Amino acid sequence: MEGRVQHPPLLRPMDQRDIADGRRAVGAWPDALLTATAWALPTAFILVPLLLFLILGFFEIQGTEIVYRLTLKNYTRFFTDAGFLPTFISTCLLGLKVAAIAVVLGYPIAYLLASLRGRAKYTVAMFFAVPLLMSYIIKIYAIRSILGGNGFLNRSLLYLGVIDEPWTFLIFNLNAVMLTLAILLVPFAILPIFVALERIPRNLLEASADLGARPLLTFLTVILPLSLQGVVIGASLTFVLAIGDYVTPQMVGGIEGFTFGRIIYSQFGFGNNWPFGAALSVILLIPVLMAIVAADRAGRARYAT
Amino acid sequence: MTMRSVKHLLLAAAALAVTVALASPGWAKELRILAWQGYADDDWVKEFKGQCGCDVSVVFIGTDDEIWAKIKGSEGKDFDLFAVNTAQLQRYIDAGLTTPIDLDKIPNQKQTLPRFQDLSKVTGVMRDGKVHSVPYAFDSIGIIYDPKKVSSAPDSMTVLWDPKYKGKVLDYDNGEHNFTITALTMGIADPYKLTAEQMDTAKKKLIDLKHNILSFYTTADEALQLWQNNDVAVMFANYGQQQVKMMKDAGLDIVYVNPKEGAIAWLDTWALTSGVRDKELAESWINFVLQKKIGEQLSQRTGFGNTVAPFPSASDKDTMVWLEFVEDPTKRADLWNEIKAAP
Repeated sequence: MEGRVQHPPLLRPMDQRDIADGRRAVGAWPDALLTATAWALPTAFILVPLLLFLILGFFEIQGTEIVYRLTLKNYTRFFTDAGFLPTFISTCLLGLKVAAIAVVLGYPIAYLLASLRGRAKYTVAMFFAVPLLMSYIIKIYAIRSILGGNGFLNRSLLYLGVIDEPWTFLIFNLNAVMLTLAILLVPFAILPIFVALERIPRNLLEASADLGARPLLTFLTVILPLSLQGVVIGASLTFVLAIGDYVTPQMVGGIEGFTFGRIIYSQFGFGNNWPFGAALSVILLIPVLMAIVAADRAGRARYAT
Repeated sequence: MTMRSVKHLLLAAAALAVTVALASPGWAKELRILAWQGYADDDWVKEFKGQCGCDVSVVFIGTDDEIWAKIKGSEGKDFDLFAVNTAQLQRYIDAGLTTPIDLDKIPNQKQTLPRFQDLSKVTGVMRDGKVHSVPYAFDSIGIIYDPKKVSSAPDSMTVLWDPKYKGKVLDYDNGEHNFTITALTMGIADPYKLTAEQMDTAKKKLIDLKHNILSFYTTADEALQLWQNNDVAVMFANYGQQQVKMMKDAGLDIVYVNPKEGAIAWLDTWALTSGVRDKELAESWINFVLQKKIGEQLSQRTGFGNTVAPFPSASDKDTMVWLEFVEDPTKRADLWNEIKAAP
């Protein structure tokens, strides 16, 4: 065997011949640097802050200063004081409802996208992703002013004579929060479902038709089960984003707009109780982790039955 | 050049860029200000920059707790100068986040209106003989109502509880002020130092208030948008003259009135942070904005009272209850959460 030749780095994927030649994809030390960076970035920006939060939750405040004495006070307070556990539960329920609505709204759109051909498919997909580029707050302001008693929707309906009195039930209640969150988060439901639908091989649908199944039966027995993993991922993503939200409930929820996110938010504001806020954030991590595990399980589900 | 050496060159360039970005503190002297909108307008900043030959960066905030988060969060190091009201100032002094001001560097302070001349008489700005902040702007918190929807002119905050206006009331989303105004309607002498019993009674009243309102608001323009898009009759006007001006400019027919039981009044001041880089530069800014022409412009543009030029903001007939630091802000915030969570 001749000695290994030093080749310049490849700019294309390696193949069998490269391995036989003894090539490596990159040189030794840039390789190590890349690996180190890949590990360092999530550790520094995700793991470390989470750990700091976890630790902070075990301290308490006295007056305006944090007292660095380990205590379980913050966690026991969550269970013993009134208002925290019920709000936590109602927030999780709200998240589930928002996820359900977002998936129900998003599935038909994803289906439409998947059934388009050629360039139209990705162009139209772009349109549904464009709202994600807009400012979150501006979108809520827009929805709030459209749904208001004197807003665009009511004024149109009154002008058209459809109603005599403005509809006031569309805004400043929990339903408004649910609807607004679903509208804001629906792009996060569309995309995973779209991807899952795209992965269904066309020949399965053709086989189903050849065997005599009507389109509805094909949908129920072939398409829906195979796209379920996308549905679960979309639902999990929407759920996680909805339960932590602290802006939408305050802006469109009126006196019912009080969720767990707002309790956490107030601890970092006037409440000035960062350790307690940290503990509450850690508690909120539990449903988040459960949603992530559910999404992960769905993602790993066997594709062909 | 081979691909490998290009890659090495890029890595080296990236490392160099990162080092330079981290190391350079800026060449010119810089003044970093944290303030409310309207306190550091572009034209004033531009004029000041020309005078001092320095760089000025202004960050705007919308609520008191944002100021706390930014100043306390950076332990006073992220800014040189910040605007804060006399009540909130106390907790910054307690936490060692301010630097005492040298009044000799602020000659314009001698030309202020009589009420603000003797700083030892202005509650809150001095501590242990040292001046921690200089007064700048003030306003009161009252009631804004729509004269077409409200039959007789209200004169007390109790109008917010009036069942006639159920679902047509807007309240400010803040525990401290809500407890204070409730305490004033209850006739309590010192609404900033409530006992546990008084807070309990106030809490029950506030849950009743919650059931009478349409929604909470946080910022002045949010309140305007809510008023424009819904049927609202009366509102707790936390932003006083600023809101009046905004709503009148938007063409709304509204009237402002201070409650007879006493109106919360705040006094905003300029304070130096504990991490101020150039103390004299910061003090020269304070001197700059205490000029009569700037004071007049401030009042014209925002509607607030200023400390140097007379302006018809609050009438002498109104009872002002100057804002103080409350007995326990965390407790008021926690109770406010309970009020909002209550069914």
